[in-house]
Order: sequence, then C-alpha cells, then structure tokens
Amino acid sequence: MTSLQPRPALGEPARYVFPKPTRVKVGSGTVIALDLPGQPYAAVRLVHPAGANIESDEYRGAAMLVSEALEDGVDGNSSLAPALERYGAEWVSRVGWDSFITGVDAPTKRLKDAVALLGEAVRSPALRPDDIVRRRDQLAERFRLENSVASTLAARAVGSQLFTGRYAVPLSGGDVYQQRLTPDLARSFHTDHIAAVTGTLIVVGDLSGVNLEELGAAVFGDAAPAPQRHTTAPETAPGERPRIIILDRPGSVQSAFVLAHHAPSRTEIDLPRAEGMSDVLGGMFTSRLNLELREKLGYTYGVGSRFDLRRDSGVFLISTQVDAPTTAHSITVTLEQIAQLRQEGVTEKELQAVRESHTVGLPVTYASAGRMAWALIEMVVYDLPEDHVDRLRAGYEQLTVDGLNQAAQEYLHPEDAVVTVVGDAESLRGPLEELGVGPVTVQNPETLWSAPGDKPAPSR
Amino acid sequence: MINMTSAEQGVEGLVTSNGAAGHIRQYRLDNGLRLVTAPAATGQVAAINLWYGVGSRHEVPGRTGFAHLFEHLMFEGSGNAAKGEHFRLIEALGGELNASTSSDRTNYYETVPEHALDLALWLEADRLATLRDGVTQEVLDNQRDVVKNERRQRYDNQPYGTAFERILAHAYPEGHPYHHPTIGSMEDLDAADLDYVLSFHKTHYGPDNLVLSVVSSLDSEDVYRRVEKYFGGIPPRETVAEAPDASLEGLLGSKSLVVEEQVPAPAVFIVHRIPPYGTREFDILHLASAVLGQGQGSRLYRRLVVERGLANDDGGASSDLFDFRYTQSLFFISMIARDGVSGSELENAIFEETAALADGISEEELERARAVLERDHFQGISTPAGLANALSGYTQLFDDPELVYTWPMRWASITPDEVVDCAKQYLIPENRFSLRYEVAPSETANA
Repeated sequence: MTSLQPRPALGEPARYVFPKPTRVKVGSGTVIALDLPGQPYAAVRLVHPAGANIESDEYRGAAMLVSEALEDGVDGNSSLAPALERYGAEWVSRVGWDSFITGVDAPTKRLKDAVALLGEAVRSPALRPDDIVRRRDQLAERFRLENSVASTLAARAVGSQLFTGRYAVPLSGGDVYQQRLTPDLARSFHTDHIAAVTGTLIVVGDLSGVNLEELGAAVFGDAAPAPQRHTTAPETAPGERPRIIILDRPGSVQSAFVLAHHAPSRTEIDLPRAEGMSDVLGGMFTSRLNLELREKLGYTYGVGSRFDLRRDSGVFLISTQVDAPTTAHSITVTLEQIAQLRQEGVTEKELQAVRESHTVGLPVTYASAGRMAWALIEMVVYDLPEDHVDRLRAGYEQLTVDGLNQAAQEYLHPEDAVVTVVGDAESLRGPLEELGVGPVTVQNPETLWSAPGDKPAPSR
Repeated sequence: MINMTSAEQGVEGLVTSNGAAGHIRQYRLDNGLRLVTAPAATGQVAAINLWYGVGSRHEVPGRTGFAHLFEHLMFEGSGNAAKGEHFRLIEALGGELNASTSSDRTNYYETVPEHALDLALWLEADRLATLRDGVTQEVLDNQRDVVKNERRQRYDNQPYGTAFERILAHAYPEGHPYHHPTIGSMEDLDAADLDYVLSFHKTHYGPDNLVLSVVSSLDSEDVYRRVEKYFGGIPPRETVAEAPDASLEGLLGSKSLVVEEQVPAPAVFIVHRIPPYGTREFDILHLASAVLGQGQGSRLYRRLVVERGLANDDGGASSDLFDFRYTQSLFFISMIARDGVSGSELENAIFEETAALADGISEEELERARAVLERDHFQGISTPAGLANALSGYTQLFDDPELVYTWPMRWASITPDEVVDCAKQYLIPENRFSLRYEVAPSETANA
C-alpha cells in the first residue's frame, strides 16, 4: 500500500551573497580572485579587451585564428595541450565580440605549473607560419562543416541580416575572411593586442597556499595596461523589415529558424526587466513559446529566447527547430505570442517565477568555479561594479508586473525583425509568403559572407 | 611516496583537498531504495540525482524508443502534480533539471537551492509512486510528437546523425537488446499506446530499482530522514522485471558499410567490440583509446590532423568508449576528412594507426593517457550535479559509490604490455565495423 506525504511547504531560502573578490595589483595588471575552499579544480581566465569587434576589415577573423594558434604553444606543433595534460589541466579559450579569453582549468595543487604554461603560451608563443596556416585552413574548413548543421547556420546568419560592418560577418570571419589572413597578420594581431597588453587575470578556486602575486607575475610579465576602449554603435543592415530570408537546405525534414532584431547594449539595457521578460516569453522550459510550440503543438523539441548583448549594441533572438511542414505556423505562433505578451502583459505567477529563479536560484547558478569565473569576466568586460551579481539580484527582487510589461514594449520589436529560416526552400517559400510577415527571399547559404570585391550575394 | 603514478598522485591530492571521500554515506530503505549522500563543494545547493535501472535494453522489438519516450512522460504530470508542474516548480526556484536515457539506465536530476530539497524529493517520489494517475492519452500524443522532433533534430536532420544508429545495428545482432538506439524508430514511436505506458511504469519504476544521490551541505542523517519520509511509503515492485539476455560471445567480425548522404565531407566511424564496462580489459582499452584519440597529444591528432593533414581538427576527441555494463562495450573512433582527402584514404590511415597500437606504446604515452582520463574524471565530479550523477552511476552499476574517488586507481597499475595485448586481441580487423559517409551528389543545384 502506497503512503505518500503531502506536498511540503517551502521554507525560507538562505540569502545568497556573491563572494567579494580579492584584487591584487601586479605590475601593470590586476589579479581578481575568489577563494572557494574545498574546490578541487581552479578556473583561471585571462581577459583581454581584444574581441572580434576590434578587428579592422583586413584583420577579420584574426582574433579567432590567434586564439587557436596559441594552442601550438611555445614550441609550436600543437605542443600546449599535451604540456597541460601532464598537470591534469585543460586549456580554455573563447573569443567574443568584446573579449579575448584564455585560461586553464587545473587541479589546485598543479595551479602554479599550469598558470606558468598559460603565461608563456600567451606572451611568447612560437606562432610559426606553418602552424598558423594549418590552423587557418582548418578553421575555414570547420566553418563550412559546421554550417551543414541547420541551427548553426541560422544563428550565424543573423548578424548579416541586422548589421553592416564587423557584426555582419561571423566571429571567426568565416571561411572567406579566414583564407585572406596571413601568418604576418595573425602575428601582428597577437603582438599588438595580446602579448603587449596585460589583460586581467581571474582565479577562482581553493586559494590556500596560492600566491596570487606570483601567478600574476607569471602571466603579465612586463606587458602594458589595456588601452582605453571606445565604442561606436554599429550600423544597421539595409533591407525591408520585417522580412523572411530562407537559406536553402534542400530535403531538410526540419527547419531551423531564428527571429532576431536589434536590442540595446549591455550597459544600456535594464537587465532584470529585459531578461525577466525574455524568460517569460521563451527563456525557460515553462515559457510561453515552449509551452505552445512544444508542449501543446508538438512542433519542436524545444525553443528558446535570449539577448545577445555587447558593449556597443545588442540582439534579441528566438531560436528553434521545427518539423518542416509546421514552419509557417510556428512563425505565426511565435509572432502571436510576442503580440500577446506586448498587449496583455505578464501574469503575477510569471513575475514570481522570474523573480524567484534569479534570486533564490543564485546558489545553483554559481555552483562551480567556472561559473563564478564567468561572473567576474562579465564584470571586467562590461566595466561592471564588483557587486554586480548582488545588484542584479536586487533588480530582480524589485521586479513588478508593470516593469516586465514595459520591458515587453521597450525591448520586443517584431516590426524590426528578420526571420532567418534554414530549410527546404522549395516547400517553404509559398507558405512563408502567405504569412504576409514581409518579403520572403531565398539565398544560397554559400553566398552569405562575401568579402569586398566578391560578387554580391544573389537573391531570388 | 616515491614513484607514485600520476593516478595515485591525482587521487591522493584531490581526496585530500576536498576531504569528500570519507564523507560518502550509503543507506538502504526497507523498500530497497539505495540512497547515497555526499558533501557539496559549493554552498546552499542540493543536487539530487536518480538512476533507475531501466534503459533501452529492456525494450522489445516493436517497442523501441519506449524507455526514452517514457522519460519524457515523467515530466508531464503525476497523481499530485499537474502537467508541467515539475518543471514549473523547479525552474521557479532557479533550479536546473533534466533527464536522460541510455541503453543501461534512465537518469533524472535537479539541482535546487538547499531549502527546496524537500520539494524536489516530494516531486520525485510522487512521480515514482503515482505517475500512472497523471498520464493521459493527450499527453502521450504530444510527447510522441516532441520525441519525433528530437529524433529529427539529433538524427535525421543532422549531418552524420544516423551514424550511432547504424553502428549499433551492425555491432549487435538483430534481436539483441543493444541493436537499436534509445531514440527508437518513428514507426515504433507511432505505435506506442497508453496501456503500455502504464505497464512500463509498473514493471520498471519501483524504489527497489532506484539509486538516489543527494549532494549538499546537509548532514547525511538529515538527508536520510527526509528521503525516508518521502520515499519510505512507496512499496517495491511486486515483480522484479527480468533483464533481457544481452550476453554476447566472440568477435564482431569484419564489417564495413559505405553510405552516400547529404554531408559536407566524407567521414569515418569505426567501432571494435570490447569487454563490458567494469572489467579490467575495458579499463585497459579505455587507456588505449586515450593514447589513440583523446587530447592533442594523442596519436590520431598528431599524425592525421597535425602531420598529415588528413582529418578535420576535432581538438583531440576522435576516440572514446561506449560504456555498456551489461554487454560488450564499443571502442569508438570517428574523424571527418579534410578538403581533397577521400573517405577511403582517411579510413585506411585510421586503420593503420589503430593497428600500430599492437606494435607497442611508450610509458610516456600511457602517462599522458592516464592524466587525460583522470582530468576528465575529476572535472566531471567537481560540481555538485556532476558528483551526484557519478555517485548514482557507480552505485546503480557497481553497488559502490566510493568508486567515484577510487576509479582512477584502476588505471594506475596498467602497463604498456597490457595495452598492447588488448590491442592485439580486440583492435583487429576481425573485430571491426567501419562506417564511411561519402558526399552524395546534390539533387538540387542552387540557383
């Protein structure tokens, strides 16, 4: 005989306060550290303000290429990873629009050795021409391989539909720009933006017995402080909006689509209101879009929405992959849900879910060294105050229904949207035109990122 | 200690630094539920992880994909929780939750703020005890569509997406419980009916088939009392389901298949059938896979990516094992060809490198392989959720949660000669299935 307990009432959550980091000035650089006693692995990240957004036309893709080429280490020939492997450590690198991040995840007791390898890999890598060419060609080929995944291609195409300039081309520069890079260009990008600049070193882990000044000295050397950054808002891509662009992928049994439009920059946006509103629409499993497209209609395995925020601009995106015959209706439902949120606003229950998940849920959000390091990276990249996590929490605690409703008005702009659909153009074009959302064009994906001087991308 | 292997150093160092190994506690409730507790490395959270001893190996012909479809239904409402409420309640607490199904087991998990542990336990207990009261035909129809879209997304609309399905179909004979993937076939998903859903729950979902792990800062006795409170009143299954016979003798044979599909480049997927997860030979071959294809110091990466430029740069992730506990496992290799390199050229190059393991490996290569496996192992358990998952796994499969800290010791005593011996026995053409994808000519020329 089964005997069950009644549903328990929730007790009072313990208040979460993000730990106060330690700052140590070492030479021209700064080490920012968090002590997590008992953590067996430490996350070390070196943040340079040298993301893809600083690349001039000639250098497009250079940040990504240099990031990859650093893995060839001081001896070249892909020597860094095996050296780290000896210490049970792993190389970490990530190029964003606003940052160039390198680092290691390492067992605490091997931290010093692993950080020494990080330091020499960043400051004095071999960067042999042969290695750079090999990495470049591999990057270009990998870009094409990855584009065969419908969702990847759809996500990569968004920039070209919303912006001109650097944001119009994917972070890596794609195959077109990669293939124009030379070893000399890569080396000069490294010399000017990485080797010569200290960056900020972030260390999160069990710091007992760790000498932060020593780590900083090993990584910074005699490099100079980062130069002042200037931001200029990017220009909008021409073309009617809203509109639909189909990137032809014949025979696809699913369509991947991304609805995207412009959003404010990371520093301009009111993050709790914006993300809270996005969570209600598509940011959670129990969001309106997921409940409708997945749990009611069964069109998709999942749908999500989010803001992609940069120092000078932002993008709001809704992404999903749907059963091909349901593509048009899925877009209709998506637009209806946006309209409904804008017209009718959020419910008290939705407000509560958003508020709680971003406040009492913080211990879950920061349940690893890597995630805590990420909070510190955000602080460095976007010039945020040291207590920015706690300030965000306070922002969420103060959220109201009216605030989220205003955010829906302020930050959702379907009239400015471009819907990029990767799927079978022959079967999709008619139904998508009948939607009346805007003009529908079909484009060959291979012509998306033409370099200056190339033939313009044909549309039909 | 002098001349410690890296495995011994790693284990000692990590255990000493977080002090967790001595704090694992194991309990068994009267109804057979096994509970494991351990301290969390970060505060204010509770990571809850459940491994049920049911997976796609329990599926019968015509019912493939059912264990996984059933996993979806576990989120769709039970006797005292409405459809979607499980997700809604946990998400609203900032919790992280999901589930996964494999051939051997089905896994459910959530990480929640510590004050929500009771609620999470109650939700898990409710769907264990009363799922049959909540599931409806409407829910089944909806989740069937969702799973079919999952299949499209992961298999059918994905370049090389059908590789795993083809591998299982050729590596295990028709009718064998591991012959099919957990996602199942579209036809069988269409045929799933409500009666079978109800009987599947009754057959496989009982506390006697469950390992529950809780990783938190709470006292283990406190956790035990809570688990006893919520799960103690659930009776064990009336009949323990019999696992299908998955025994397998002999080698795989020498098999190959070439398929033409809309893929961006030729690719090669190779498996060798090897002894089950948990045997010493499996551990030896795990090291062999790291020597061959894990990390940028591995042979396949150095030879075929860096030196010969035959394969796409995967960062050093071309070989691993599929760890099946109840039948022979698989030694797996995959690489994608570079521009201008044919599939057969790449395939032959991989064959050569694999065969060369039998000619000998150096102690240095073995040391690197141990370090890579240790790193992945300890990184995997460095978060509360990762530790909870590993505790459930080692307990469900081996009845020993402390393996979570001692597993790397198994690699410490393995010698180069043992790797060579195993390579000679298992990594041979007579025990190999090779699947090659070639680029199909495009049917529709782009205008």
